[in-house]
Amino acid sequence: MSQPGSRPDPRPDGGRARELLARKWAYLLSGVAVIPLAVEELEHELREQIDALCAAAACDPVDTAAAERVGDHVVGLGYVGEDGLRRTVEVLGKGLPALPGFQRAEQAALVIGALAAGFLVANRRVVFEQQERMQLSLLKAVRDAKWHLKESEARFDSVVTSSASGIMIVGLDGRLVRTNAAVAEILGRTPAELTGATLFDLVHPDTVGMLREAMRAVAEGGQDRVRQSQRLLRKDGDVARISLTASLLRDPDGAPSHFVAVVEDGTELMLLQSELHRQALHDVLTGLPNRQFFGTHLESAVRRADPVHGVTLLHLDLDGFGMVCDSLGWLAGERLLVHVAQQLKSVLAREKAMVARFDGDEFGILVENTATTPNTAALAAAINRALAEPVYVDGHGLAVSASMGVVRGVSRNQEPAELLRAADQALRRARRGRRGQWELFDPGRDTADRSALARAVAMPGAWEQGEFTVRYRPVVRLADGGVAGAEAVLRWDRRDGRLPHERCVALAERTGFILPLGEWLLTIAAGQVRWWQRDASAVPLSVALTAHQATDADLVSRVVRVLDATGLPANRLAVAVPSAAVTAPDVADNLGVLAEMGVRTALRDLALGPDDVAAVRDLGIHSVRVAARLVELQSRADAAYVGALLPALVETGAVIGVDGVVTEEQAAWWREAGAELGTGPLFGPDHSAAGFHARLRR
Amino acid sequence: MARTYDFLLGGAHNFAVDRELAAHVERVMPDARSAARVSRAFLGRTVQYMVGQGIRQFLDIGSGIPTVANVHEVAQAADPECRVVYVDKDPIAVAHSELMLVDNDRAAIVHADMRDPDSILDHPQTRRLLDFDQPVGLLVLMMLHWLPDEADPWALMARYRDPLAPGSHLAITHVTADNQDERLTEVTDLIKESRSADQLTERPHDQVVALFGDFELVEPGLVGCAAWRPAGRGDIADAAEMNMVIYGGVARKP
Repeated sequence: MSQPGSRPDPRPDGGRARELLARKWAYLLSGVAVIPLAVEELEHELREQIDALCAAAACDPVDTAAAERVGDHVVGLGYVGEDGLRRTVEVLGKGLPALPGFQRAEQAALVIGALAAGFLVANRRVVFEQQERMQLSLLKAVRDAKWHLKESEARFDSVVTSSASGIMIVGLDGRLVRTNAAVAEILGRTPAELTGATLFDLVHPDTVGMLREAMRAVAEGGQDRVRQSQRLLRKDGDVARISLTASLLRDPDGAPSHFVAVVEDGTELMLLQSELHRQALHDVLTGLPNRQFFGTHLESAVRRADPVHGVTLLHLDLDGFGMVCDSLGWLAGERLLVHVAQQLKSVLAREKAMVARFDGDEFGILVENTATTPNTAALAAAINRALAEPVYVDGHGLAVSASMGVVRGVSRNQEPAELLRAADQALRRARRGRRGQWELFDPGRDTADRSALARAVAMPGAWEQGEFTVRYRPVVRLADGGVAGAEAVLRWDRRDGRLPHERCVALAERTGFILPLGEWLLTIAAGQVRWWQRDASAVPLSVALTAHQATDADLVSRVVRVLDATGLPANRLAVAVPSAAVTAPDVADNLGVLAEMGVRTALRDLALGPDDVAAVRDLGIHSVRVAARLVELQSRADAAYVGALLPALVETGAVIGVDGVVTEEQAAWWREAGAELGTGPLFGPDHSAAGFHARLRR
Repeated sequence: MARTYDFLLGGAHNFAVDRELAAHVERVMPDARSAARVSRAFLGRTVQYMVGQGIRQFLDIGSGIPTVANVHEVAQAADPECRVVYVDKDPIAVAHSELMLVDNDRAAIVHADMRDPDSILDHPQTRRLLDFDQPVGLLVLMMLHWLPDEADPWALMARYRDPLAPGSHLAITHVTADNQDERLTEVTDLIKESRSADQLTERPHDQVVALFGDFELVEPGLVGCAAWRPAGRGDIADAAEMNMVIYGGVARKP
């Protein structure tokens, strides 16, 4: 591709224009003809023919014999046939007059006419040759096999053969008797809408007279057939430019009975062809190359790969994409895919890379590495950063993350299929690594769930819009009712109401958005608590983590980052993980490292089972918080059962707290049973930072 | 059928009765020509692929009228040393091929029925041209849907695969109804009504895959034959269904 402003084409003969024309010709021809040449070979052949045509046109008078030889040559390319000639005339009819050297209108006409004549002669010759050869073959076969061919009873009645063209059987009065699907397609109408209509209703008023005239002439026998460029009226109000050929059908007595008309969509042809080609190699939705194309490209890329740097193959799978579709619908999902496609392309804009869409929410990326290509980790991080930018779809701000399988290939002998398989396997491993977390987040997808899902996937956008605030829930000493700590909680103020902390967290947990959201909550709250430390009213900060956060491989680095940024001492922070999550991989490690740093660790949502007691002991947990549902259970009937489990817990030495305390009776019972701290409605609502501070100083 | 196919491709190697059947087919399925063209293009890509994999000898079962873009032209254009054995049961196709190949000592036609593999594999021409200690490119294109289930095409294919050397490749194209509306059924009915002895059995994806036996399908597997490594505009049809009506795949003997 030449750059704007670069030097003009040095070739005086319009070499580039000829090349383009050859390419277009090859393109159209290969859509209808069987030619045993590769695309480039065919383009090369046709380029030579165009040169010959130009030379013929440049002669004065025009060298029609030379142009006829071109027609002969085109027939020799393969099975070209009438469709091939039609396309040839179309493309040259438009293209030749635009070439330098065609000043006079008749030059192109003469050249194309001569080409068609040469084509006709050669084609007839080829048909005769083939038929003769068939006769010979037949004779030979009969002779060879002493085989008697039953005489054919069938007569070859001259039927209109057709391709993708529209075909109509039209009454002498113009009424449509039968149409094929292509007609309906061209007109943008259903076949049902066409029954009963007349052809003349469908033709543009400006040109309908011309058609009536010609058809009358044919019916009266003055003319064999009609061939006109026409404009048909589409249902959507557009005009379809077509070429229409009509000839007469006669009944057994020889009287005219119907017309048969063939309609070809001229304007759409080029678009359609290129669109179809694009579709065959590209994904229609995103415009990215598809898996086929990617596979082919991979093959050549591996072969020409830089021997030192090789290629990098990434196989991506979007996390939580199914949820977007289930809650917001496929359309939203598709728009998200388009966005992802654009983001991926922009991330890789500086690399020699191909981004392809495989199936569904899977993408493939092939980077032909250079010395400046970022390493795999940096590349993966850049991709996830770009995807985390929310995009607004139907008012929902959506963001996604991707699991990736990455393979670096350096050997030119590497099998492309092998590379693809390896990347796929790596992706599966990446996904399996997360499954311990993700399985928890795959709830049944009933209809009632959909609105929740819709909220969940809209969270990133809402967060960016500032719809979330951090609130502070008092942690109270059961002994004297004094405030012993602040638990940071979320609140989401939506147009349709307010979502409390527990609901926000449950939703964010389902998409994985809890990771950035949780870090944000921690940062805001830690900064706030650090600020309060300036006076004597300082209390420790407590944050409840979800299962996903607890298993997050980056949990420690997130906490370190927050403590560094805010200056909050580690021992003023308590993180509470769900007791059900402690058996998941990494949780024990996370808690161990945090405890070493001085962060207070807690188990929450405690069910008071023997496993809980063991976990508290084994992991050196500082405090525990009994689940709100147990607090409620206790206050109803089964006090004995709940009480029986407490002594073992008290023995571990961990500070015991209870959540969800509603009544004075509950508070009293738990205080007696050995609990020190409590949270819940009994101790007042969540406060804003200012409100909480005021309460501390009260 | 071979001659009808040739007509659909645009050739004149056919008789009135063949063209009549083709016209009937086209009336129900106006895009039949592009399906024929696309499957022909698949043949070319397959042969080129196999040559690229080092295959220098080909056995083409059901070659029909080997006219434009045939196996020996494609293969010998890539490497003149390539040897090709064509097989057909139609005496006219055989006669035609003999006339055509009279000057080509690296290609020959065997008159045999695909249902009798021994007569093909042990044929003197086959033995003369093909070395079964070396990989062979076996092409069974647009053929197996002419065998009803009772003829057990799976067992038949095993008999072809077994004697081949490791590294041999097998290409199959097969008509399917997986991606079709009722039009294909109409075509099937047409063929049944025609005086052709051949009966069309469309098969679903898994049944076609099974025809490859323990050979390993190369990328992209068994797909609509237009989607098998398309390299240019000529490899696909305008109508999406025509790209999918014939399954095509290539597999390698491990």
